[in-house]
Amino acid sequence: MNPRKIFIATVAIVAIAVGAWLSYQVASPPRAQSTRAATLLNGANALPEFTLVDHTGAPVGADVFTGQWDLVFFGFTHCPDVCPLTLQVLASARQQLADSGFEPLPRIVLVSVDPERDTPDKLAQYVSHFGEGNLGITGELEELRKLTGALGIFFGKSMREDGSYLVDHSSAVLAFDPNGQFRALFGSPHQAENYVHDIPIIVDQS
Amino acid sequence: MNRFVPILAVALVVACSDARAPLVASDVTINKPMPGMQMAAGYLTLTNNSPEPITITDVTSPQYGAVEMHETMIEDGISRMIELSEVTIEPSSSVAFEPGGKHLMLMRQKGEPDLVTLELHADETVVLTISVAPGD
Ligand SMILES: [Cu+2]
Repeated sequence: MNPRKIFIATVAIVAIAVGAWLSYQVASPPRAQSTRAATLLNGANALPEFTLVDHTGAPVGADVFTGQWDLVFFGFTHCPDVCPLTLQVLASARQQLADSGFEPLPRIVLVSVDPERDTPDKLAQYVSHFGEGNLGITGELEELRKLTGALGIFFGKSMREDGSYLVDHSSAVLAFDPNGQFRALFGSPHQAENYVHDIPIIVDQS
Repeated sequence: MNRFVPILAVALVVACSDARAPLVASDVTINKPMPGMQMAAGYLTLTNNSPEPITITDVTSPQYGAVEMHETMIEDGISRMIELSEVTIEPSSSVAFEPGGKHLMLMRQKGEPDLVTLELHADETVVLTISVAPGD
């Protein structure tokens, strides 16, 4: 392509982009209240099929996320710093929303990224420490990967010299709507006031 | 009444450490392990009042099989804990161990202690001993 053609092509592309932007601005309604921390997602992708177990040992599939709003965190019980910190933030936000009379209150879900050590029993003790009604999910590694893979969640073992291990994992919290669809993502650092502010907006906009 | 207990415990720590001592600990919190677990996190602020840097090379506790200095790092949305082989506190400055950052990782708890003692070592020397009641 000669420089003149490149110039014309560039002008054309810019014109199309500006046109698209202008029509978007005109067409879209005045912006609703915006979130502080959450990234809203409108592409609703169905979850793949998987078979894991909850903290009572009962088998669960993708429909475990239907019927209520969920705040889903991926962590493990041998994680004394950032995992309890995140779950405390979620529990505190949920309590503040409850105190303000907000409904529907989201359920707090911990999906273990260390299914080798996190038995349903261990998870039950762990999630109940952060309040009632919380859900723990664990199971087979391959089944877990189906879920995390579909959600873009990373986890991996980090071996230590003494043969023990830690698990590196995505620090995000995901919000699922009552249809089990991934609606919003909260990145770290997590702060209760951001959840209190953003959750009503996320619920409202979906 | 219950909520005064941690305050008393902290006051005890502060009272025991001479303000002019070379190394002073404040805001000491040691969590109880989560139900069913034998590991816990500990947090504190270390202040170096001496003219020389102080390097903590090891932390031990009679109530725990091992204590490590860790740091939670979040990079590209991925959280990982790394072990710190030493932590240096520069003269007239402080280093904070706090949730989501540097922390003490207390592993293999022995029994259910009412008081946890931490011994901070600089090579062969114990430079600070702290005792605190673990909290929730
Ligand atoms: Cu750690």
